[in-house]
Amino acid sequence: MASVELEQQIAALHPASFAWALACTGWNAAEAEEVLQSVYLSILEGRARFDGRSAFKTWLFAVVRNMAARTLRRRWLEARPPWRMFSGSEADHADPVVAEERGAQVRRALGTLPARQREVLDLVFFHEMTVEQAAEVMDVSTGTARTHYHRGKLRLLELLGKEDLP
Amino acid sequence: MTPGDDEARLRAAMAEAHREDAERTPRFEVTWAAAQRSRQRRSIRRWAVAGAGLAAAAAGVWLVTRPKPSPTPLILGTRWVGPTDFLLETPDLMTLRTLPPVDPDADPWTTRPPAPKGTP
Repeated sequence: MASVELEQQIAALHPASFAWALACTGWNAAEAEEVLQSVYLSILEGRARFDGRSAFKTWLFAVVRNMAARTLRRRWLEARPPWRMFSGSEADHADPVVAEERGAQVRRALGTLPARQREVLDLVFFHEMTVEQAAEVMDVSTGTARTHYHRGKLRLLELLGKEDLP
Repeated sequence: MTPGDDEARLRAAMAEAHREDAERTPRFEVTWAAAQRSRQRRSIRRWAVAGAGLAAAAAGVWLVTRPKPSPTPLILGTRWVGPTDFLLETPDLMTLRTLPPVDPDADPWTTRPPAPKGTP
C-alpha cells in the first residue's frame, strides 16, 4: 500500500482508533495517545505491516490492542518493585475516571468486566464490528469471542440494571 | 425485555461511555508528526549505535592483528649487575648446581660381563 494512501486510511480511522485505545487503556487519555503514537511509529518503521488478509480497520485495531497490552504490561512492571511482584492483590490500575456522571458510571461498570468481555462488547456495540471481526482483533477464535460476548453482555446488563443505567 | 432491547441498551451505554472521546481525541496531524519525529530520532540513535559498534569492532581487530614490537636486542656490556649480586655467589657454586658423575664400573648393578679370553 502506498504511504500516502496508508496515511489517509489511518487518518480516517484516527478518532475510532483513539476511542479503541481509550477503551484498551481504561480511558486514560494520555496513555491512549502514547499507544496510538507507538502504533503509528511501528507502521512507519514497517514493524506493523498490513497484508490485506483482513479489513484495514480490523488490522489497525489489532495493532492498537497489542500495543496497549504491551504498554500496560510495562506500566504494571514499572509500578511494582520486584519484591512486591508476587504479593498482595492490588487493583491492576487505578480508574482515572473520577467524575461520577453517567458515562463514568458505565465505564466503571465496564471496568469490572474481564478484559476480553470488555473488549468484545466495545468492538461490537461501539465500533460496529461483528463478533467474527472482534475475534480477529482480539486474536482469539470466533467461538471464544462469542462466549466472551454473551457472558459480557449478561454481566454488563446486570451491572447496568443495578445502577439503573442509562 | 427483548434481546433487541438489551442490545439497544448496551449500544446506548457504550455511546455514553465514549461520549467524551471526541473532545479528548488529539489531532491526527499532531500524533502522526510525533510518530515521525520519534522515527527520525530512533533512526539517528540506531546509526549512532551501529557506528559505535563498528568502531569498537575495528579497534578490536586492530588490537589483535597489529604488528607486535620485536624484543629489544641486548647490547653487550649493558647487562646490569646489582651491587649485592656478589652475595649470591658461593665459593662452590659449580658443585651445588651440578650432579657428581657416577662411575658405571663401581655400580654393582651395572657390572659389565667379563671380557672373553684371548683378548688383549
